[in-house]
Amino acid sequence: MSELPKPIEERIQHMLPRNLLHDLRTPLGHILGYAELLIEEMQASGHEEFIPHVEKIRKAGRKLVEMMTDNFQSK
Amino acid sequence: MRFGTRSETVERLHCQRYLPDDMKKILLVEDNEMNRDMLSRRLQKRGYEVLIAVDGQQGVEMAQSQSPDLILMDMSLPVMDGWEATRALKSATTTKHIPVIALTAHAMSTDRDKAIEAGCNDYDTKPIELPRLLEKMEMLIGPIGNDFRTENESS
Repeated sequence: MSELPKPIEERIQHMLPRNLLHDLRTPLGHILGYAELLIEEMQASGHEEFIPHVEKIRKAGRKLVEMMTDNFQSK
Repeated sequence: MRFGTRSETVERLHCQRYLPDDMKKILLVEDNEMNRDMLSRRLQKRGYEVLIAVDGQQGVEMAQSQSPDLILMDMSLPVMDGWEATRALKSATTTKHIPVIALTAHAMSTDRDKAIEAGCNDYDTKPIELPRLLEKMEMLIGPIGNDFRTENESS
């Protein structure tokens, strides 16, 4: 979102319900946490061939958290 | 692959690796079922004994009856919130020595200040980054023994 002109970014922030960003972090935390747990389980059980796929889910989730933190810090 | 149930996992860890007396006891106070499941399983894998409370009131009661080594306290809790529960814990002679790490979904510095003001020893944000949280836990209660760390603990 950093490429957007400032006024647009501010308008989007204004449009978002107050607690939405906070609320989004909970399901996002579940996605990340279970992806990481799954990776741990796969390492432990020798199913390492699936790890790269789960790693993609984890990375996308982390990216989303980063974007939310950088651009739409909850007020 | 087959996932063991949580109790199977705990039992296995107990049998193979630990005497219960050696384990560090963590009280996790968290109202969200999936967060409880996730975090407790990941901590158990690393050799911690995990006790669960689902609201602040129960958290205070369990801290008194179970004397955990450390408390992980979600702040937005029903019945009694995390700030109030921490204040109660820190004002009671039986529980004030137990370190409390606050966990919140807000990443603002005012939230950190509010948690420290309530008596929390440290603070971390959700979604949990486990290596970072483990580091904070170890700062407060010492290491659990490195053999139980998973090899790939990258964030």
